[in-house]
Amino acid sequence: MVNFTVDEIRALMDKKRNIRNMSVIAHVDHGKSTLTDSLVSKAGIIAGAKAGETRFTDTRKDEQERCITIKSTAISMYFEVEDKDLVFITHADQREKDCKGFLINLIDSPGHVDFSSEVTAALRVTDGALVVVDCVSGVCVQTETVLRQAIAERIKPILFMNKMDRALLELQLDAEELYQTFQRIVENVNVIIATYNDDGGPMGEVRVDPSKGSVGFGSGLHGWAFTLKQFSEMYSEKFKIDVVKLMNRLWGENFFNAKTKKWQKQKEADNKRSFCMYILDPIYKVFDAIMNYKKEEIGTLLEKIGVAIKHEDKDKDGKALLKVVMRTWLPAGEALLQMIAIHLPSPVIAQKYRMEMLYEGPHDDEAAVAVKNCDPEGPLMMYISKMVPTSDKGRFYAFGRVFSGKVATGQKCRIMGPNYVPGKKEDLYEKAIQRTILMMGRYVEAIEDVPSGNICGLVGVDQFLVKTGTITTFKDAHNMKVMKFSVSPVVRVAVEPKNPADLPKLVEGLKRLAKSDPMVQCIIEESGEHIIAGAGELHLEICLKDLEEDHACIPLKKSDPVVSYRETVFEESNQMCLSKSPNKHNRLMMKALPMPDGLPEDIDNGDVSSKDDFKLRARYLAEKYDYDVTEARKIWCFGPDGTGPNFVLDCTKSVQYLNEIKDSVVAGFQWASKEGIMAEENMRGVRFNIYDVTLHADAIHRGGGQIIPTTRRCLYASAITAGPRLMEPVYLCEIQCPEVAVGGIYGVLNRRRGHVFEEAQVVGTPMFVVKAYLPVNESFGFTADLRSNTGGQAFPQCVFDHWQVLPGDPCEPSSKPYQIVQDTRKRKGLKEGLPDLAQYLDKL
Amino acid sequence: MFYLIGLGLGDPTDITVKGLEIVKRCSRVYLEMYTSILGCPQEELETFYGRPLLLADRDLVEQGADEILSGAAEEDVALLVVGDPFGATTHTDFILRAKEKKIQYKVVHNASIMNAIGCCGLQLYKFGETVSIPYWDETWKPDSFYDKIKLNRLHNMHTLCLLDIKVKEPTPESLMRRRKEYQPPRFMTVAEATQQLMTIVEKKDALERNTILNELSLCVGLARVGHDSQSIIVNTLREMSQTDLGGPLHSLVIPAKEMHPLEVEFLQQYATLKLEDYNH
Repeated sequence: MVNFTVDEIRALMDKKRNIRNMSVIAHVDHGKSTLTDSLVSKAGIIAGAKAGETRFTDTRKDEQERCITIKSTAISMYFEVEDKDLVFITHADQREKDCKGFLINLIDSPGHVDFSSEVTAALRVTDGALVVVDCVSGVCVQTETVLRQAIAERIKPILFMNKMDRALLELQLDAEELYQTFQRIVENVNVIIATYNDDGGPMGEVRVDPSKGSVGFGSGLHGWAFTLKQFSEMYSEKFKIDVVKLMNRLWGENFFNAKTKKWQKQKEADNKRSFCMYILDPIYKVFDAIMNYKKEEIGTLLEKIGVAIKHEDKDKDGKALLKVVMRTWLPAGEALLQMIAIHLPSPVIAQKYRMEMLYEGPHDDEAAVAVKNCDPEGPLMMYISKMVPTSDKGRFYAFGRVFSGKVATGQKCRIMGPNYVPGKKEDLYEKAIQRTILMMGRYVEAIEDVPSGNICGLVGVDQFLVKTGTITTFKDAHNMKVMKFSVSPVVRVAVEPKNPADLPKLVEGLKRLAKSDPMVQCIIEESGEHIIAGAGELHLEICLKDLEEDHACIPLKKSDPVVSYRETVFEESNQMCLSKSPNKHNRLMMKALPMPDGLPEDIDNGDVSSKDDFKLRARYLAEKYDYDVTEARKIWCFGPDGTGPNFVLDCTKSVQYLNEIKDSVVAGFQWASKEGIMAEENMRGVRFNIYDVTLHADAIHRGGGQIIPTTRRCLYASAITAGPRLMEPVYLCEIQCPEVAVGGIYGVLNRRRGHVFEEAQVVGTPMFVVKAYLPVNESFGFTADLRSNTGGQAFPQCVFDHWQVLPGDPCEPSSKPYQIVQDTRKRKGLKEGLPDLAQYLDKL
Repeated sequence: MFYLIGLGLGDPTDITVKGLEIVKRCSRVYLEMYTSILGCPQEELETFYGRPLLLADRDLVEQGADEILSGAAEEDVALLVVGDPFGATTHTDFILRAKEKKIQYKVVHNASIMNAIGCCGLQLYKFGETVSIPYWDETWKPDSFYDKIKLNRLHNMHTLCLLDIKVKEPTPESLMRRRKEYQPPRFMTVAEATQQLMTIVEKKDALERNTILNELSLCVGLARVGHDSQSIIVNTLREMSQTDLGGPLHSLVIPAKEMHPLEVEFLQQYATLKLEDYNH
């Protein structure tokens, strides 16, 4: 039975210091959803006995069947924290006085890299993250990715070591080995945290520490967990030591000598590590007694740890009994709740330092101040991070976080899409919210209004937003920043209906698909082809299945997956390229040249961007890449889309009226950099220099109609003459397997142009980790191939890593890039063959 | 032979006798319609000339010169241009292209707004550089024409402002696509032009606003010059921005600060305010 009501939750929503918004993040298969069950069962939503098996937050049928989370799922829960635990919450803004109730808004996210856009969307609306690590496999590639994302979004992490049951039952590690494993994982996690967070930064120190209680241990599957706090409480009476002090003693280099009753700092012959002695030993004993059916010992042990077995469980033995005993002794829900309540920030604390990362507008306007103070009386600022399908086909709940003000049923709001610019009308709607709702995993509850600091869903907003947006009541509000995804949609398929008459249904279905997934892109090519672009093979597979079964509901024909390429150049243009406008009165002269290594990545990461101060940016470019400072100050624009890794540099000397054509040149550049000359793929890493411009004396004869197409032609001519090259996307591929399978992995990788750059044994386990670069184009069917060549023992995780130049000249008909260019052109319905320079270059 | 023939200010009968004879004997006659517009529909011209005309839009003239010139070496081809072939429009490139192809050409001149503007009474000798005032959009707001007006004023010269016309102008969005979409045809009115001018004047600092150009400065609005319905009004910039001069085409003149008494006297017939001692 659910042990709270919607009214109780609504009442708590106003106690903003008692709210915790958190996501559960981890590598795939490390047990997020299973662990989440413990909390869900503590809240009474599912029965305790079913916790760990239900995976309540895996709401879709395919999620249950495949045992993999695909969509992130939110659930709001009410808990009460006992008085003895409340004292551990020391910060004044971390709890309301005289209130035991805590509202936890939890988002369970997928672990597979292909769905990491869901993680991004989840992180945006939460303040804390429970990072789950399988203590057998340790910190994996996706652990690092999500942790890095969390810290970039200023999300405070806590750590949970999951699957302790496996470590004990399968690997049979002894206590000291297990401690070392834990210690190593904590260290690895802290190294990642330290890499991306500055202790002096606004979040302060965020590293996890078992002795502070911010690291949990246990087994989500069996439903038990503990932190040092639980054990410290058990022993503090006996030792007459304060709980907090004892927690410090129970971790790290602390040893206890049973004979002399003295604590020591070094390992000696007759002392023992306190963590092993007081925490692991009792657990080992319980495991040993139950799994080896030592009936008498079980009795005395249970009495010692104070666990009384209920009547209906009396007949159980072996694993079943172990589960019952462990979850009664160390209930996972309780340990997790305490970790969350004590160590994760309330919205009041978090929004103080998150505002500047979240808000695009000036940091002192009304909206910014309200967000910073998490002020329910301020103007409404809400960020919609994703769309959740409703039972009503084609309609969605807009899911997001209220950062300030209150959102209420019937309230009139400004709905601003990502392209909204303050003061303009585009991407802006003023509409009433039909209903506000509470997301409860598999169902929703209607709620009158939702104040700042909470997560909720809205009805009736979906038709005004594509995927994300800002909802506000403040007329001068700017947008909340759009999310930056860690993966890009590099794999694409073309779809068409089996029955051509179904085309309208397909188009409608694609629109819905685009809404339902934060990352997927649905594009209509010039040729009329419908393209779906996703992060990887699995992502596309799920998207296609959803499209076919839920969104379009028609049988589809799908093309083989293809990857997108990038167009670049490898040398400076071999001539000055001149193009004349259609009326022949305007002339542009340009050259293209490659950017230095690392600069395109700097632009991708936002270290160099159009929003920088031009002087600072020029200094950065001069110091890091040897650019001429005066030239570097005159970057006109980045592209494509105003932010991409190409730019136009103004190298002209005193040209009159130049700024009058700047907009047209920028527009032409956006166009050309989006659709490169070779195969109309995006350009990457190309710098264009404008050397001279001749303009008609009269403004009418140098308008956009004259300059935009001319710019494009001139850019193309510059690119063709600068040694055009293609770049292909490359995955970083991490494969875990036993030693015997390593040989098979090499074979498969070699056949697929992959190359291994790291191979290491996971310390403390017989497993090996192989890291390799694998071209995305070669990755189709890779997982299956790998399994069949290693007897099903190797599991790859592929994350998009970088772009790599394909060797060979795409203008050389015998080369591979030439073939790719021709295939792509054919697919896009372009004229086959090579671009003709004469079309783009004019004579003086 | 390739002929470039001016059609004058818009009435079908404005074509010169010489021009009309050539039109009648040519094998192909193109009518260029994007740099200016006729005061009458194309059919009326065709009836008057007694022959069909081929419409040449911007794409054809700018990018399809080869098509227009094809065969011009053997037969007679004419391109009809509203106004004068070398007037406000820019067909010099066409002649260069014809020369390149070794095609002989002849030009038949006609009246253009560049000389017809004398109808307002300002002496053609005292006009400075001519400017165009383009339509502004959301982001593109060029104002370099103001600088030229300013120079003309400083040197005590009149400025003829040609006002933007958009006929078959592709939309900015469609420029990026392969399929072109065109904006609906637009013709800038004197009122619109003066509003844009005042916006620029607003931005200038107070001193410049007072000495060079301000909202009380005189201007001459002309509509449908050379047509029967021709209309001319002299007023301040501020008043002009509220004045409707009727159908296209419109032109605007910013007179020099000092005018010859004869000019003043002539202008006075179009003005309601007293011009004699007017000093702005």
